[in-house]
Amino acid sequence: MNNNKDLINLNDDLEPKIPMEFKEGVTDDFSVEELSPVSRRKFMALVGASTAFAAVSCSDYRDKKEVVPYNKKPEEVTLGRPNFYASTCTACALNCGILIKTREGRPIKVDGNPDHPISLGKTCSIGQANILNLYDPSRIKSPIKINKSDEFFLFKKDVIEEKWNVIDKEITDLLKKATSENKEIAIISEPITSPTAFRLFEDFKVKYPTVKFYFIDLFDENNKKNAWVKSFGDIPMSPLNYKDAKIIVTLEADVLGRECNFLENSGEIISNRNAEKHEEFNRIYAVEAGMSLTGMNSDYRIRLNPAQQLAFVLSLVNELGLQKKAFNLPGNVENGVKGYSLDKFAADNKVDLKTLKNLAFDLAKNKGKSILVAGKSLPEEVHIAVNMLNSLLDNKSIYKSSTFVNYYPKSSKSEFESLISKMNSKQIGVLIQFDANPAYLLSSEYGYEAASKNVDNIISLTESQNESSRLSSYVLPINHNFEAWGDYQTRTGSISLQQPVIAPINNTRQKEAVLLNWMQEKPEEYKEDIYHKYLMARWEKEVFTTVSPATDFNSFWYGSLHDGIALLKDNSTPNLSFNFNAFNPTSTLAANGYTVVISKNYFLRDGKYATNGWLQELPHPVTKITWDNYAAMSLSTSNELGVKMNDLVEVSANGKKVTLPVLVQPGIPEKLIDVELGYGRTHANEVANNVGVNLIDFIGKDYKSKFIRTDATVTPIPGHYQLASTQEHHMLTEKFVKDLHLERGIIRETTLDEYIEDPKKLKEHGEDKPHFSIIDRVKYPGVKWAMAIDLNKCTGCSMCAIACNVENNIPVVGKEQVIKGREMSWMRLDRYYSGTDEDPIVSQQPQLCQHCDNAPCENVCPVVATTHSPDGLNQMTYNRCVGTRYCANNCPFKVRRYNFFDFREQFAKGYYEKDSLKPLYNPEVTVRSRGVMEKCTFCVQNIMDARSEATKNGKDFDGTGVKTACQISCPTEAIVFGNMNDPNSAVSKQIGNTRNYTILEEINVKPNINYLAKLRNTVKKEEV
Amino acid sequence: MDKDYSKELSVIEGKPSLATITHDISVPMETMPNKAFYIALSVTLTFLGIGAFCLILTFIYGIGLWGNNNPVGWAFDIVNFVFWIGIGHAGTLISAILFLFRQKWRTGIARFAEAMTIFAVMTAGLFPLIHVGRPWLDGYLLPHPNQHGLWVNFTSPLLWDVFAVSTYATVSLIFWYVGLIPDFATLRDRTTNNIKKLIYSVLSFGWRHSNRHWQHYEMVYLILAGFATPLVLSVHTIVSFDFAVSILPGWHTTIFPPYFVAGAVFSGFAMVQNALIFIRKVFKLEYIITLDTLEKMNKIMLLTGTIVGYAYGMEFFIAWYSGNPLELFTFVNRAFGDYAWAYWIMMTCNVFSPQLFWFKKLRRSIPFMFVVAIFVNVGMWFERFVIIVTSLSRDFLPSSWAYYKPTLIDGGILLGSFGLFFTLVLLFTKAMPVISIAEVKAVVDGSQPTHHGGHE
Repeated sequence: MNNNKDLINLNDDLEPKIPMEFKEGVTDDFSVEELSPVSRRKFMALVGASTAFAAVSCSDYRDKKEVVPYNKKPEEVTLGRPNFYASTCTACALNCGILIKTREGRPIKVDGNPDHPISLGKTCSIGQANILNLYDPSRIKSPIKINKSDEFFLFKKDVIEEKWNVIDKEITDLLKKATSENKEIAIISEPITSPTAFRLFEDFKVKYPTVKFYFIDLFDENNKKNAWVKSFGDIPMSPLNYKDAKIIVTLEADVLGRECNFLENSGEIISNRNAEKHEEFNRIYAVEAGMSLTGMNSDYRIRLNPAQQLAFVLSLVNELGLQKKAFNLPGNVENGVKGYSLDKFAADNKVDLKTLKNLAFDLAKNKGKSILVAGKSLPEEVHIAVNMLNSLLDNKSIYKSSTFVNYYPKSSKSEFESLISKMNSKQIGVLIQFDANPAYLLSSEYGYEAASKNVDNIISLTESQNESSRLSSYVLPINHNFEAWGDYQTRTGSISLQQPVIAPINNTRQKEAVLLNWMQEKPEEYKEDIYHKYLMARWEKEVFTTVSPATDFNSFWYGSLHDGIALLKDNSTPNLSFNFNAFNPTSTLAANGYTVVISKNYFLRDGKYATNGWLQELPHPVTKITWDNYAAMSLSTSNELGVKMNDLVEVSANGKKVTLPVLVQPGIPEKLIDVELGYGRTHANEVANNVGVNLIDFIGKDYKSKFIRTDATVTPIPGHYQLASTQEHHMLTEKFVKDLHLERGIIRETTLDEYIEDPKKLKEHGEDKPHFSIIDRVKYPGVKWAMAIDLNKCTGCSMCAIACNVENNIPVVGKEQVIKGREMSWMRLDRYYSGTDEDPIVSQQPQLCQHCDNAPCENVCPVVATTHSPDGLNQMTYNRCVGTRYCANNCPFKVRRYNFFDFREQFAKGYYEKDSLKPLYNPEVTVRSRGVMEKCTFCVQNIMDARSEATKNGKDFDGTGVKTACQISCPTEAIVFGNMNDPNSAVSKQIGNTRNYTILEEINVKPNINYLAKLRNTVKKEEV
Repeated sequence: MDKDYSKELSVIEGKPSLATITHDISVPMETMPNKAFYIALSVTLTFLGIGAFCLILTFIYGIGLWGNNNPVGWAFDIVNFVFWIGIGHAGTLISAILFLFRQKWRTGIARFAEAMTIFAVMTAGLFPLIHVGRPWLDGYLLPHPNQHGLWVNFTSPLLWDVFAVSTYATVSLIFWYVGLIPDFATLRDRTTNNIKKLIYSVLSFGWRHSNRHWQHYEMVYLILAGFATPLVLSVHTIVSFDFAVSILPGWHTTIFPPYFVAGAVFSGFAMVQNALIFIRKVFKLEYIITLDTLEKMNKIMLLTGTIVGYAYGMEFFIAWYSGNPLELFTFVNRAFGDYAWAYWIMMTCNVFSPQLFWFKKLRRSIPFMFVVAIFVNVGMWFERFVIIVTSLSRDFLPSSWAYYKPTLIDGGILLGSFGLFFTLVLLFTKAMPVISIAEVKAVVDGSQPTHHGGHE
């Protein structure tokens, strides 16, 4: 503008033109009257209005879905920023503390709550995948009443959706009627770990005196508890402490995967396998039948039929007490173990004697610093013997100072039998299935289903349909974990709080609130906060007074709610002394024919989580099988039976026959079949129904040890079945493919002693010096991302894989697609066997996009859809991808995943494409369409978050504070991620470690995933 | 054996009059198709229909209907592509390279071989377009200015393919068309049907058989032959780069360009030979497409088949000699792994069967050579299968290995590609002269200018 002015001033001749800018005479004969009646303004108004009317009339005005714009922003919600709420996971009785990430009010991710004293910021696969159950399309939307109309004439049941208040009225009437008729009100529940729910149950019993509770738990610890009481007297059990243990001996106990609090155990055990502190490095002996996570990670694995476990312990006692004189034995024990010896045991069970001698040597040497742990499936006498050996070895620090808290004992076989007989004799007025599934979990010997026909009023409280709810007359939908209030205490020392993070999505109520409401005078006037108030009232009265903090109750309550945990005073260490009279050298198990070991599945719990597609598709940590259970057996057993992988066998035990596909699994004892529970659901959702075989019937009513059957028969039957494995199964006898992972330097490992002697030895595969290059290397001046995975710490638990699925909106593809090799998970756990079929050595390796500096995928993409970022990420531009799959072909690690279908649409007829799942997706991660390649992004959304945060604060981004989803979930902290240009970052330190290596160095793709070699703590040759 | 070797032997049997030649070649275009033609056409159209149906299903549901998986990202799709590109090699080789080498026997077969080239390249060209996950975005593969500022990746061999194949298709088409112009003029002059006349008039560009026209024509044809010659070699070289430029053991091999070209010529000749055996019989053109010509083709198959066999052996040798365990594993795996059946089909068909052509009797036996040529095509299809699928199914990390199994849809699309190709071939035989009338006339005994006026 200034320039113009100057111009005008300079050029005088322009001046006269300026007044003529507007043509003269325009306003001369201007008259308002002559103007068109429709002014421009009015015209615009009419056009606007008619467009609006047209738009409105075409839209469905009846669609009155609630749309709440954030024009008045809730105080705690910032659009685009996540909120985290501390809560408690109720997926199993461990009740880990969790942090739920919500975006604009929708829960999208679950991580561990770092403030929780037991779970310490970690949560298991089920806990993480549980978010899918919240949005599961099969959740029941509102209460259902089923009129069992005269079944003689009408075989159809009337299913009516009914209002809660009507149902409340009807049910309270039924309850009152049962009470007045003095008929039993039976409530079947899963074991409770909530003190407030316990109080509620007690109150409910006061209101309705004929109430009787039954607690059903497939994986009870009765054997362990009975042994504890016999060993140490009637005191509460204490959890195990692995922190000080140098020698860990697990007997049929998968302490890293399924047994006790495996998350806590993993952290403690693995933290003492630190190459840099080798004097603390523990040694794990796993004595087990089926191959478990613990067996895979052990330094020595002894394969043993569980019927021989007692003989094993007694032989050890004999060796240590009588041969080595490591301790003195009381007379009855000496007599009991006289007939056993390690030599005889080794010969009888085809076990390497040297390993057994090593074990005895180690136990004698590390007196007071070892720990023996027996699995809960083993019979009582083994537990007693193990308790005895632990106390003989003076292992005092193996118990934690806190003790387990038990509210109700689990119901025994006889209690269930009497329930069934009462049901049959019509003595049960009302049967309430309180979020439990007895029809599936009780073996058919009980005859629960038949008995249920004799009960007129069965009420099911459940999230979605199951085998039990189908027997009911009322099906009441209950809140999910994330919609409910609660408190949980599994041990002395702390109480964990649960709070809802989303309003109930459907017309559901919290299960405790339902019971509480039925105790009210007017149950039809339900208030949403009824249980919340009840919980607070109990806390004010009981917890607040015990803790007695220096604040008022409100501050205490909100503080605890914020932390998700309230710490209580702990009682002192129990003084345990073993009662030698409890020692019993007679085994109740005798191998007779085939032994069937019935194991817990890693991810489906007792089958409740079989409804979760992510968990079904998460490969089994050992066998890599998805979507099925099978009969795992050794190669020699399969040869004896004349079957191969994927053939069929008929296994009969406990008078029941089932047909199972064969899986040849290294490391299993002869004449033993390892099977898993949790499959064969029949009345759940589309995901779970008819997946695998239900083996509950193998668990009989009368058992010494319900998970071990020693009287089974196995016969091959004609036919073939296709198991869906994510990794090819090669026999260890196939010379051609054997040990390729070692030959190719994919897995590098050595023993601890060799490493201490010569740390450089691991480097012999590849050189440290950079490969020759004819071009200038790309420089990464700022941040450069890299990851280091310590294979010494990785147990192969697969929690990283599920965390990645949730974080990155990874679809479920289904069994057929897994068989074809099209699973989508960005993170996979590779498992390799070496050694012999009898005693395999297992190596594991998490495999994900390596973000190579010389990424071979990038130069072959014809449309530049995959590129390199200036901070070293290998990126995918989904919009640009046409899907030639060339990048995947050229990826040496085969970590790229291709959307062969729109898998959400394709899986189970679009089951996971339904509307209810839309809020599940992480809004920061694109949902990929069909025909697009995808892969690990290093959680670029978290990187961008941290970067924008730094920019906002006016700081240079130095790459600190970024964590990937897999890293957060890793229970052993094996994964480290960060800026490798920063010499102080954790990842740089790991890269500088002598154990560090990258795979396939010879092809010079320069991966940015660094692996730290695994060390095995085997015995030095000269030591024994 | 009473041939006079003191002068060049005629490539045409007997001494047919020029009018006979014109007549015999033009007959199919001047008569209505017979029953056999309709039966053949209905078969090929059925195949084409099956292929189209499978393709529509693929467009609706996705590539998942095929057997491809992770790690085998490419399978039938790219196998078919390379196979058809290979088939498309004989035509230009015969018409351009043999033309430059003054091989007169080529005149009888050049036109038909060129037509097959065009159709094979058309068929092959489909596969890169349909093998992508989102075929509606195929345009992204072409460098075109756009407001997003997006450009293609010139380092990707797939993009080189786009250019190599489209250039080859364009040049082959022009070459073929230029050769057709004098024949179109002949047909124009012969026909009595006005519509045909109009069409042939337009197609013949006003050709008047004038001396001047011939002079220009000869020059253009020579230049185009010179232009097409390097393309014959470059197309399959570049197709082989799809594999050779990658880092996969079994793909990353420097021998691929010559080996692929030899293989392509091998399979191309086999396909041309197969088709010509029918053509010469059905159209009674045995005196133009003589047994001698077929024998010469068989000799080329013997040569290229031996080169291919050498390449197989050399690959194995280098896999061992290089000392690269990954490479050695891949090759041992090919011969003895899960896909050994495919490998031995390939070896039998490609290496052993053409060796029988050393025997003159077998080389000149029409039923025998027909069977061998079929074998060669089967073998060459399996060669691509072996290279692509076995290398992908077992690569670097044993954890990612997986077995590939084709689906019915895969088979349907393969069938459809044959349907498309042979439908086009059939239509061609009734629409255009299958032999170059003008060129054949030039090689008939006595048609060359001589000092003695054609008399001894």
